[in-house]
Amino acid sequence: MPIKVPKDREVPFGAITPAPIKQQELFITSNWRIVRPVIDHEKCTRCFTCYIACPDSCWSFNEKEEKMEWNWKFCKGCQICIHECPADALSAVPELDFEDGVVRLEKPF
Amino acid sequence: MGKVTEITVWTRGVVMDKEARDVANAFAQAAKMEGKFVQAFDNYEDLPDRVLVTTRKYARISDEEIEMKYLYTNAHPDVVVIVEPTIVKGINVLKGMPEGGLLIINTNRPIDYMLKFIPNADLLGAIATVDADGISGVKTVDFSGSEGGVDTAGLGAGIAAPILGAMARVTGLAKKESLAKIVSDVAALDRGYNEVKFEKFRKQRSEYFWGG
Repeated sequence: MPIKVPKDREVPFGAITPAPIKQQELFITSNWRIVRPVIDHEKCTRCFTCYIACPDSCWSFNEKEEKMEWNWKFCKGCQICIHECPADALSAVPELDFEDGVVRLEKPF
Repeated sequence: MGKVTEITVWTRGVVMDKEARDVANAFAQAAKMEGKFVQAFDNYEDLPDRVLVTTRKYARISDEEIEMKYLYTNAHPDVVVIVEPTIVKGINVLKGMPEGGLLIINTNRPIDYMLKFIPNADLLGAIATVDADGISGVKTVDFSGSEGGVDTAGLGAGIAAPILGAMARVTGLAKKESLAKIVSDVAALDRGYNEVKFEKFRKQRSEYFWGG
């Protein structure tokens, strides 16, 4: 039995899909967090340890402003970056202290 | 079939899984000791159970025999218990709740502050908070994956005990005395019973008696 592919997703045989995107919007995991890492840009030495340590690549370097950026959509609050930071620039702040930063979902994930 | 009171317990996977399971199981067991008909289930819909993922546990209590045989999920929870308060921010916890339902949150924050995170709070008949983390603070982590099959810590050893005390006082579906026979940490149960903060919002429907 042939597989039924929706019309809008049909591709010719041997087609090449676009390059992998950085963010998968269908699986936002911001509601996993109990605490969030908050960065102190004064203390940050741009050593990129958080970038290396984060299992979900939630830390990236903003080259224009020359500071680290945190991706709130996919951070799960595992606190690895906070433990690894050699400059103590990161601190764990309860998510309920902030009013924003979490996508509200109907289902658990 | 008479009125079935549906209780849904929201928790975080693995790290507070046992506590929520204890809340559902112990509360249903206490109601059963008082001659009610009960059901209590773990969730299989939210699994695989991963660390910090939001998961649910379910309990049902009725004066007559419960005839919902094949559906274990609560589509219309009358009581929603939040074991970890941050969940109200990321999940629509009141989904399916009939008007006048009850929300119980484990938090030390004021009720008004928590209500800011619940946009559909006008559904609620009452809200209660209990600082279970401050009273007990014990969270048993079970990595065995047995879902309670080899649970040696005992029912209600950690933060489940104060939450159960709060539930006993606010819902009135099970008595504290019956819970004290089941729960290991009776002192925490008593403190939860006494220290629960409670607020009624509107005229409740006739079948609800939140606040005793």
